[in-house]
Amino acid sequence: MGEVILTMKGIDKSFPGVHALDHVDLEIRKGEVHALMGENGAGKSTLMKVLTGIYSKDEGTITYEGKEVTFSNPREAQAAGVVIVHQELNMMGHLTVAQNIFIGREIMSGGIIDDKKMNEEARKLFDKLNIDIDPTETMSRLTVGKQQMCEIAKAISHDAKVIIFDEPSAALTEAEIEELFKIIRDLREKQLGIVYISHRMDEIKVITDRVTVMRDGGYVGTLITKDCTKDDIINMMVGRVIYEDPKTESTVPKDAPVVLRVEHLNAGKMVKDVSFELHKGEILGFSGLMGAGRTETARALFGADPKESGDVYVNGEKVEIKTPQDAVRCGIGYLSEDRKRFGIVVDKTVAENSTMASLERFMKGIFINKKKEDQVSQEYVEALKTKTPGVDQLVVNLSGGNQQKVVIAKWLVRNCDILIFDEPTRGIDVGAKSEIYHLMNQLVAEGKSIIMISSEMTEILRMSDRIIVMCEGRKTGELGIEEATQERIMHAATLRN
Amino acid sequence: MADNQKKGNAFTNNPIVKAVGTQKIVVVLVLIILLAFFSAASSAFRQYSTILSIMDYTYYLAFLGIGVTFCLITGGVDLSIGTGLVCYGLIGGYLITHNNIPVIVGILVTLLVGVLMGTVNGLIVSLGGLPPFLATLCTMMIARGLGSLATSGLSVNWPPTAAENGWARMLFKIEVGGVKLPIGFIWVLLFAVIMSIVLNKTKPGRYIIAIGSNKEATRLSGVNVVKYQTLAYVFSGFFTGLAAIAYANTFQALAPGTGAGMELNAIGGAIIGGTSMSGGMGSIAGTILGVFIMSVLQTGLPNIGLQANYQQIIIGMVLILAVLVDVFKNKKLA
Amino acid sequence: MEKIRNNAVVKKIGFNRLVLCGILLLMYILFAILSPTFLSYSRILSALNYAYFLGFLSLGVTFVIATGGIDFSIGPVMFCAALVSGQLLTKNEWPLIPCLVVSILVGTLFGVINGVLVAYGGLPSFITSMASMMISKGLGSVFTKTQSVSWPQASEANGWYRNLIRLKIGGIQVPTGLVILIVAAIICAIVLNKTRIGRYILCIGSNREAVRLSGVNVKKWEMLAYIICGMLAGVAAIFFVGAYSTVQPGLGDTYNNEAIAGCVMGGTSMSGGLASIGGTLIGVMIIALLQEGILAMGFQKDYQYVLTGVIVLVAVYADIRSRRRRN
Repeated sequence: MGEVILTMKGIDKSFPGVHALDHVDLEIRKGEVHALMGENGAGKSTLMKVLTGIYSKDEGTITYEGKEVTFSNPREAQAAGVVIVHQELNMMGHLTVAQNIFIGREIMSGGIIDDKKMNEEARKLFDKLNIDIDPTETMSRLTVGKQQMCEIAKAISHDAKVIIFDEPSAALTEAEIEELFKIIRDLREKQLGIVYISHRMDEIKVITDRVTVMRDGGYVGTLITKDCTKDDIINMMVGRVIYEDPKTESTVPKDAPVVLRVEHLNAGKMVKDVSFELHKGEILGFSGLMGAGRTETARALFGADPKESGDVYVNGEKVEIKTPQDAVRCGIGYLSEDRKRFGIVVDKTVAENSTMASLERFMKGIFINKKKEDQVSQEYVEALKTKTPGVDQLVVNLSGGNQQKVVIAKWLVRNCDILIFDEPTRGIDVGAKSEIYHLMNQLVAEGKSIIMISSEMTEILRMSDRIIVMCEGRKTGELGIEEATQERIMHAATLRN
Repeated sequence: MADNQKKGNAFTNNPIVKAVGTQKIVVVLVLIILLAFFSAASSAFRQYSTILSIMDYTYYLAFLGIGVTFCLITGGVDLSIGTGLVCYGLIGGYLITHNNIPVIVGILVTLLVGVLMGTVNGLIVSLGGLPPFLATLCTMMIARGLGSLATSGLSVNWPPTAAENGWARMLFKIEVGGVKLPIGFIWVLLFAVIMSIVLNKTKPGRYIIAIGSNKEATRLSGVNVVKYQTLAYVFSGFFTGLAAIAYANTFQALAPGTGAGMELNAIGGAIIGGTSMSGGMGSIAGTILGVFIMSVLQTGLPNIGLQANYQQIIIGMVLILAVLVDVFKNKKLA
Repeated sequence: MEKIRNNAVVKKIGFNRLVLCGILLLMYILFAILSPTFLSYSRILSALNYAYFLGFLSLGVTFVIATGGIDFSIGPVMFCAALVSGQLLTKNEWPLIPCLVVSILVGTLFGVINGVLVAYGGLPSFITSMASMMISKGLGSVFTKTQSVSWPQASEANGWYRNLIRLKIGGIQVPTGLVILIVAAIICAIVLNKTRIGRYILCIGSNREAVRLSGVNVKKWEMLAYIICGMLAGVAAIFFVGAYSTVQPGLGDTYNNEAIAGCVMGGTSMSGGLASIGGTLIGVMIIALLQEGILAMGFQKDYQYVLTGVIVLVAVYADIRSRRRRN
C-alpha cells in the first residue's frame, strides 16, 4: 500500500425525507483494493455518486492527489482519473466493442472518425489486459461476461488513477471472476487505487486489502482485511450477530408425494434437457453460477418464455403450460428475481396487487367486490406481517422486503401450492431476509412446495431440503441437504461438458 | 470466442450478404418484382414518363426519409414532417410569389423554417422529455395551422419552369432535346452519400446511434445527449425543408391543410429499408431503397386501376407489414 | 395552497379537476367578454354539438391511453363509420336502426384490428393506428366512391336519430346529447374503476409484464381497450352526423388530436396506468368551448390546430414533470 490518493471526509448528503449520507469518511491509498461494504441502502452507491459528481454533496471535503476537488459531473471525474465501472451494463449494443470503448472520445482524422485506429488501440488494450475479445464485434453479440470485461477495459483506458467497481462480479461466471481478479491485481501492482463494492464476502477476503463498512448512511469503521473475520464484517454491517447455520437434514418425509415433475425441459440456449421432481412440503434449492439457466428454467416452466420440448406433470397429471395463465391454473406461482419489473405494479395499491392473480374470485356480477378485496388483502398483510399503513397504500411506498411480501400474498390469495421463489431476498436487508426465510419455512410446513433459486450459497444451504445444481443450461448435480457442502455444490456448478 | 456469439445461417453469413445487409437485398428483390409486375400488368407503366413520375415521388420522400431516419435511429420519430413539408414550402413560396423575394432567398427561408421547427421538436423531446411521437404530433398540428395562417389559407405555386425565376424547377427536371431528364436524383444521391458519411463516420452520427442503442450509457460516457438528440430532429427539420423545395418544384401547388400522411410514406420507407422503430439501427441507403418502393407503389397502383383511396389502404397495410417485420427481427435479435 | 389541496371535499373531487373546471369557467367568461354573442343559448348548444362526438372519441381513447398505448385512428374511423353507414342509409335505403348498428360495428372492427395488431402482434400502437387511419380513410372513400354523404335532417324521413342530440320540448331545445354523453361517461367510469376490464387495463398500463406473470391474459384485456375505443368511435360517428349531417371522405385526423388533448388535459397519463373519465369529460368541454370561442371571435379554424397542439404539449409536459417529482 502506498500513499493516500483520495480522501473523503465528513461527506453529508440529504434527499427530501432521507438523510442518505451522515458524515462519511473514506480513504483510498495507491496500490490498494479497498472494499466498501454495507447492506442495501447503507449509502455505498450514494457515496460513490457523490465522488464521481453525479450527486453534489451538502457538506464535507474530497481531497484527491493532495488537492481539494469537487467534480460536477462524471466526465470531470473521468478526466481527472476517477472512473466508475457500473453495476448495470452501460453498453450500446448496436455499436462495436471498439466504438463502445471510445465513445465520447473518438479518434478522429480530418473530421472523420478513424475506426481502424480505434480498433487497433482497443486490441492493444485487450492484449495488455489479456482479454480475448475482437474489437470489431458488435457489442450485443458478446456474452454478458465479455461485455463486462469491455466495460472494465473502457474504464482502464481512461488513464484512471482511482477505479470504482460497483458489484462487478454479479454477472460473471467463476472463470470470468478469476480473470477479473487477475486484472485487479495487475492494476494494484500499477499503484492504482481501487474501490471494490460487493456483497460476496468470499471475494472480499480474496481480493481486498482494507474494508470500510457503512450502515444506514453512516460510517462504521475501516478494517485491514487479513486481520478480520467474516463475522467481524457482518457484525459491523448489521450491528448484530446473525446466525447463518446450514440446515443439516431434510424435514420432508421420504414418502412425500411428488407434486411437480419436469422431464427433459428444453428452452432456448439456457435450458437443456432439465428434469427434476418436487415433493410436497419441500424446499428445492436451485444453485449455480450466474447465467447457469436457473431463471430461464423457471420462466420456461412457468410459461413466461416459450419452451421447445419437455413434459410437466402436476400431482402426477400431465399438463400443458404454454402461458403464465396455464401455470397459474395448475397452481404454480412465480416470484421473479426482478420484483419491480416482473413482480409488482408499483403505482397500484397493496390490495390491487394482492388480488392480481385471482381477481375473478372477487367479483360480484361484473363488479369488483372492493370490500372483500380489502378484507382478504388485510388478512394477508397481517399473516405475513407486511409493514404498510393500509391495504390502500401504493406499493411504491413500501420497502423491498414488504414489496416481496405483497408478491407472496398475491400467490397465497390465489392459493398456489407450488411456489417458485427466484432470488427471494435480493435487494432485501438482513432483518427482512430472515422474515422471508421464516415465512418460507412456514409455507412448507403448511404443505406448500417451494422451488428456490438463489445465488447465495448460505441461503441455499440454510433453506433447501434438496439442491439441484445447474451449469450452462444443464442440470449438473442433485444433492440431498445431508450431503451438500459448498465444495460439492461449487464442483457441480462448474461441471462443464 | 466463436461459441460465445450468435450464429446466422449460411446465407446471412455470406460476406457479400453481410456487407450489404439481408434486408436490403430482399428490398431490392421486392423492388424488381414490383417493377416487373406493374410493367406486365399495365402498358401505361412501361413508358418513359413512368420513370419521371416515380422520380418525382422519390425526391421529396427520399429527403423526408433521410431526415426521419436519424430520428428513428435515436429511438424516436418525427411525425411533423408531412404537414411540416407543406408549411415550410408554403412560407417560402408565399414570400417568393407574393413578396417578390428572390427564389434563392425563398429556398433559404424554407430551409431555415425547417431547421427552426426541427430545433423546437428536438428541444421538446430532449429537454422536455416528451415522448417523440406525441411531441411531434403536436408540432404536426401546429405546422398545419401555421402554414395555413401564413398564407391566409391560400394555395401557393412556386414559379413554373417557364417563368423568369423558375430555375429552381430545373434543379429537378431539365429538358434536353425534347427529352425530360430527372436530374433531381443527383441531389438525392449527393445528400444520401453525405448523410451516410455523417451517420457512420462522424461524431454526431456515432452519438445518434449510441443514444438509440442506450441513452443512459451514452450520457454516462460524457456525451451531451441533449445536443445530439436535438440534432437528429434538426436534421429531420432541415431535410423536411429540402423535401419542401423538391415537392414544390416537382408538383403543381401546395395547399394549406394538406401534408398529413406523407410522414407515413417516409417512415414506412425507412422501416422497409431496415431502420428499426426501436432505435440504434438504420441506414440511409436502406431508406432510399425503401422510399423507392413507396414511390413505385404510388406510381404503379393508379396504372392498374387503383386510385388514391385504394393506395391509402395498400400503403397502410405495407406500413403494418414493415413494422411487423421490424418487430419480428428485433425479437430474433434479443 | 396545501390547505386547499388537503381539504376533504377537494381531495374527493380531485384538485386538478377543480382547476380544470375553473379554467372552463374562466374561458367562458373570457369569450363572453370578447364576443357579445357568446352568451346566447344557441352558442352553448353549438359548443355542445362539438363536445358530443369529441366526448365519445375521448372516452374511448382514454381506455387505450390507460394501457399505455395510443390510437391515432379514431377520427378517420369515426368518419369511415359515418360514411359507410350513411351510404347504406341514403343510397342503399337501409332502415335507420341497422345503419346505426353498422356504424358502431365499423368502429368496433377497426378497434379489433388495432387491438389484435398491438396486443397480439406486438406492434407499436402509434404506428399501427396511423396505418389503420390510412386504411379507414381509404375504405371510406372507396365505399362512397369519393362522394360525401349527407345524413337526413330532423324533419326528413329517418331523421329521428337527431333527437339523440337535441329534442324540442315545448319550443325549447333540450340538449339530450349531453344527458347521453354523461350517462356514457358514468358507465365508462364504472367500467374503468369497478370492473375487471378496467382494473386490468390500468394495471397493464402500469406494468404489463408483472400482470402477465400474474397469470392474467394481458393480450385479451389490452385488445379490449382498443375495441372499446373503436366501438365508441362508431358511436361518435352517430353524434357527429347528428350534429353536422355531412361527412366527407379522406378527413377526420384532426379530431384525433383534439380527443387526445381532452384526455391528457383531464389528467390521464400518456405513460399509462392512470386515467380519469371525469377529467376527460371536462377536458373535452374545454376543447369544445375553445373551438366555439375561436369561431365566435371570427378567427380561422387554423388557430385551433395550433392551440390544441400547444395544449397537448403543455399537458403532457406537466404530467411528466409531476411524475418525475414523485419519483
